[in-house]
Amino acid sequence: MTTIDLASDARPNAGRPDAPGPNLGLGLEHRSRGRAVRNQLARIVMWTAFAIAMVPLAWILWSVISKGGAMLLDSHWWTNSQRGITNRVVGGGAVHAIQGTLMQGLVTAVIAVPIGVMTAIYLVEYGRGRLATAVSFMVDILTGIPSIVAALFIYALWVTTFGFQRVAFAVVLALVLLMIPVVVRSTEEMLKLVPNELREGAFALGVPRWKTVVRVVLPTAFSGIITGVLLGLARVMGETAPLLILGPYTKNIATNLFGGLMPTLPTMINQDRTEVLQPAVDRVWGAAATLILLILILNLAGRLIAHFGRPKT
Amino acid sequence: MKTQSRQRFASITGVALVGVLALSACGSDNNAAAPGNGAANAADCPTGTLNGEGSSAQKNAIEQAISDFQATCSGATINYNPTGSGAGIKQFIAGQVNFAGSDSALKDVAKAGSPSIEQADADKTCGSPAWNLPMVTGPIAVAYNVKGVDKLIMTPSVTAKIFNGVITTWNDPAIAAINPGATLPAEAIKVFFRSDESGTTENFTKYLHAAAAADWAADPAKKWSGKGEGKEKSAGVANAVKSTEGGITYAEWSYAKDNKLGIAQIDNGAGPVELTGEAVGKAVAVATQSGTGNNIKLQLDYATKEAGAYPILLVTYEIVCSKAKDPAKATLVKAFLKSFAAADEQAKLQAIGYAPLPSAVQTKVASAIEALS
Repeated sequence: MTTIDLASDARPNAGRPDAPGPNLGLGLEHRSRGRAVRNQLARIVMWTAFAIAMVPLAWILWSVISKGGAMLLDSHWWTNSQRGITNRVVGGGAVHAIQGTLMQGLVTAVIAVPIGVMTAIYLVEYGRGRLATAVSFMVDILTGIPSIVAALFIYALWVTTFGFQRVAFAVVLALVLLMIPVVVRSTEEMLKLVPNELREGAFALGVPRWKTVVRVVLPTAFSGIITGVLLGLARVMGETAPLLILGPYTKNIATNLFGGLMPTLPTMINQDRTEVLQPAVDRVWGAAATLILLILILNLAGRLIAHFGRPKT
Repeated sequence: MKTQSRQRFASITGVALVGVLALSACGSDNNAAAPGNGAANAADCPTGTLNGEGSSAQKNAIEQAISDFQATCSGATINYNPTGSGAGIKQFIAGQVNFAGSDSALKDVAKAGSPSIEQADADKTCGSPAWNLPMVTGPIAVAYNVKGVDKLIMTPSVTAKIFNGVITTWNDPAIAAINPGATLPAEAIKVFFRSDESGTTENFTKYLHAAAAADWAADPAKKWSGKGEGKEKSAGVANAVKSTEGGITYAEWSYAKDNKLGIAQIDNGAGPVELTGEAVGKAVAVATQSGTGNNIKLQLDYATKEAGAYPILLVTYEIVCSKAKDPAKATLVKAFLKSFAAADEQAKLQAIGYAPLPSAVQTKVASAIEALS
């Protein structure tokens, strides 16, 4: 943008030895042109990379919405299950799967958030020495666990060792394993952003440490923590591996976490993904579009809370 | 600040809870076009839930049967997850499902490298003998896509040679000799096979091995041992043939029909036989039974020269406990299988690519279902 008059402008850094300043007869204007070219080159490379990154994203969104968007406009999609519907028949809805996904996500959050937030508080406010290093290291390992390993671990524990049935709560346990590290890491970052002066101020007034954490640190970091929680929730709700291993699909509405099968959007997609008949194919795309929409809403909610919920200091 | 954040947290939780509750409040399992089928007999209509898992080859058939059963008995719920025959048997043995669907009956001998015997393990889980009940037969179509060829006749030997790459063009003299009058193009034959391990592949290679042993030496297996290009699942091979001129594959009848592919007539030595439900029934009728009593394991004769019998098929079973531990489940299993095996339900399945059981087998299965408790 300002490539032409680089040589003659008087910018704040014009006095620096390597800055393109007034012509001193040292061939500096020549050098600055080279910089301008490089600047342009870098700009072009950056925009191309951005465009390349956007292509698959736009493509996925477009194909999912064009093929599955129409399903979402049918009111039955949001009110009915797939009970009694076969792949030859148009009709039914996804409410059973939407409900299952939301319910499992919510219960996962109820379990994972307190554990995750407390761990983060320990790491930032209290943790010193070996134990803290060990905990931090463990969280790192948890972060790196592939979802299928978490699923198999719970399968081995729940089904093989205890001999229980595969139920929705087992899925929730696997999802908890995946959500905890996300919550710990994001909360940790948010707590570290809280200025130390606030803590010192509280200490100076004789406030005990726990009260400082509860009354000063947590409220300051609150919106950031909620954003992290919602992003973690969005991640586990799109998770598939634990569902395939621990949560068989059913076409019926299910609300019991501890007995029977519970349908979810990813397993609904998986159930019909090899179908060739149009009604079933449409439902697969519809379920995919619904899942994207749900996660989009969660992400937007996270951003909105981050934007409006910032404490006024 | 504290109260503010508490309020915020409360409102967020509130919104989430209200959302979930709202969805569950107005969600409905009722997809029936007309409410109730009226004269549902209470004695034949137990309530409760059954979970089944297994063969994907019978997915369409069992989903139709479930849909019809639930339309009559609104208090019953049957779930079926098509995860594959092997997975179904494993979950049945692990006590995770009430019944399993499988393309092959429980084996009486241990598999190589494994000490466990499927039938014995299943009996142990049940606490009573586990029974194999043949429920539907899935014919395997030799599906092709050649322009201008509406009728194609295949013998076991030619089929084997095409699928192991000995015959490579459509106008090969061997094909022309058994298809007098057909105008075969001079283009290459493109063979597609199932890249995943599949019961369909196993049954198709069993047929080739039995009917054309001289041309197909490889042992039958779930993994493909011939030539060609691999595609995933039945949908994959069917789609590939649909979009490839000169393509040929083997797939369940329904996939060939749904994709409107050409289906070869099979000549096992007694003249070409078109793939129809009746022709498949004839082949099942000549099968011998290897199980004892009500445990009905069928030994198919793939090389049969019975006139009018279509020999390439698989029989899919429901595997159940003869005495279920939970009497309520037993009643439900019995009622569901009864409606699945009923003659009118079986006839319905023909429209979606399955062949009904021949009446002799149907009678046996019906009496076995009656004996369940």
